Amino acid sequence: MSYITGPDVVKYACSCGLLKPISHLYFCRYCFQLRCSFCVCHEVDSNFCGKCSENIPSSEARVKKNRCGNCYVCPSCQQELSTRIASKGPVNPEDSKSTPKKMYYLSCQFCRWSSRDVGIPDQSTVTGGWPERENVHSNRLQELVDMYKAIVLAQKQQKDKDKKKQRGKFLSYTDRTGVTAAALRKRIGLPAEFTHPILKNKPKEPEPASAKTEVDEVPEQLLTEPINLMEITTVEQRLLQPEAQPVTVDKLFPVHKQLSIKRSLRCRHCEHNVSKPEYNPSSVKFKIQLFAYYHIPEIRIVTVEPLRAGKQCELIVKFTNPTQHQTTIAFLKLNMDEEDASLDSEVAEVIQDLDQTLSLQEKQQMSLTSLPLSTSQPSSLISVPSRQPSLTIEPRKISQEVNCDIEVPTSSFILPPRDDAAEYDDSGDTHNIQDDPKLVKWRKSNKAFIKLNVTPMSDLALNSEVVCGFIMQHIYTNTVASKEPQKYNHKVKVFLRLGQLVGSE
Amino acid sequence: MELRDINYNKSDYVETASGNKVCRQTVLCGSQNIVLQGKVIVQSEAIIRGDLANVKTGRFCIISKEAVLRPPYKKFSKGVAFFPLSMGDHVYVGERSVVNAAIVGNYVYIGKNCVIGRRCTLKDCCVIEDNTILAPETVVPPFARYGGSPGTQIGELPECQADLMVDFTKSYYQHFQPTKLI
Repeated sequence: MSYITGPDVVKYACSCGLLKPISHLYFCRYCFQLRCSFCVCHEVDSNFCGKCSENIPSSEARVKKNRCGNCYVCPSCQQELSTRIASKGPVNPEDSKSTPKKMYYLSCQFCRWSSRDVGIPDQSTVTGGWPERENVHSNRLQELVDMYKAIVLAQKQQKDKDKKKQRGKFLSYTDRTGVTAAALRKRIGLPAEFTHPILKNKPKEPEPASAKTEVDEVPEQLLTEPINLMEITTVEQRLLQPEAQPVTVDKLFPVHKQLSIKRSLRCRHCEHNVSKPEYNPSSVKFKIQLFAYYHIPEIRIVTVEPLRAGKQCELIVKFTNPTQHQTTIAFLKLNMDEEDASLDSEVAEVIQDLDQTLSLQEKQQMSLTSLPLSTSQPSSLISVPSRQPSLTIEPRKISQEVNCDIEVPTSSFILPPRDDAAEYDDSGDTHNIQDDPKLVKWRKSNKAFIKLNVTPMSDLALNSEVVCGFIMQHIYTNTVASKEPQKYNHKVKVFLRLGQLVGSE
Repeated sequence: MELRDINYNKSDYVETASGNKVCRQTVLCGSQNIVLQGKVIVQSEAIIRGDLANVKTGRFCIISKEAVLRPPYKKFSKGVAFFPLSMGDHVYVGERSVVNAAIVGNYVYIGKNCVIGRRCTLKDCCVIEDNTILAPETVVPPFARYGGSPGTQIGELPECQADLMVDFTKSYYQHFQPTKLI
């Protein structure tokens, strides 16, 4: 429930140092690291219109300025406009058999704005055919855009030329003989002045804009006549059409609906996809889905005793194993300053372990990345860099304050694998797992209810928010690299917001 | 947070063979036109207008207290016609919400006090926050969070929203238990 409507009470620390609920995290199973939307690469997969659910190729989307050609939004309240039918009288009134002609107009069902309000004539076709508003400055803008494009091209050509010159194996004859280029040109009868290629290909500059010193006088009617606010547009309405920015409501014209995107996410370290949606705009399935929700045990707060400063109270949390493999969960003390380094080095070991087991092809892929760990691979083996090497982001410090001590249990417990058929199983909670009765209160299929003892710090003020944290170590079973599943210890820092302090000892 | 048990009075509810739990204090008009696929909870004082057109819900839907499911109508030159209302699996409708939509997809969460306007289409995996008024004929795309009046997109949803909704509706059904007599 809290994942859907908030507030997020249980947060996991991403490898970049941000705290997120588990539903917003990804788990790269090639780096064994948690990733969040801030530390993955976002790539646009496809553009689609949210109203008509039509896929629009990226080239077409660019031409249409990322707007749908058929769907419009209301210029007044920005809701979607719908097409309505108005039947006009028969074409020739004498002939009673002729059917009435159907005409279409756009209307907003929320604010009752309609295309007739601004004098747009009704259309005879259902979609399209609506007059497009030409921007008065479009010629000038096009001129400028063309000029800058030409400059970019010229600079690029110059760069290429410079590169060629530097790389050239053979020295120019003029360098050897001391004959300058100008002298040579003179000798073979060419004009001596040599223009620089950039200057030669200099694109034609459009007329520069000129500043006016004289501006129109303030119209007197602004001061004398009362303003009718019903006729003047709001800032939102003006900014919806940045090229026209209508001042009065009679100049509001329908706006094409902005397109939405589907995007795939890619881990910046190993460049593997962590999320790739299906192409169909209305589909909610994924081709690649490495979400933390499917790989990392989920923690939920079940109950917590009233929190009093300096007094131990009982906290019940529920652990759920989402994977198909059994896992063991252990607790470690959270030390905000020290354990960063140790955690990193452990991950490094794991990755080096993995590196040895990977096939050669995957190895090369790994070495393409900026992973500082896979240094065993000589850089000359890099064949063709398919992509720009990603940026490595330094993990930042976790900014969460912890003001509650937690009694870290020394014993660990087992979570059985997830079994979708378990909910139809009526045989009851039969399991032969030896549990520490002090730790595990109750368990059912892949879930366990764990009792923890927490003590809010004694110097806390009343009604302050109590936050506790610990490191959860769980066994992650990796089935990617080789045929045999491999098990790794994975550690996650978890922060629980327990609620407000109700009193003291 | 883990859901708490929600207790109800056993005599107030009818439980069908397919696991539907329907309160007796509801208004189900035209019950021959209402299809509840199974494990659906209809709570007290909810209204389902099956007399206007067919109403179909999927599995694991929750219709909260005082919610109204009303098939949408469309005006024609010769009067009005009602269209069926179809609802997918794992849909939650909050208290005092009025749903006038034509299609509600799977894994949809509708908060409290919402008005879903006439002939709206809610695609799979969307969330309508509490107190939202959706204008008629709005289309809510997948993975969108809508809110406000008029309802506009105010955020995005995580990619595992479908599983979150499955988990939520299933655990709601499991925690919706009759009060135990002592």
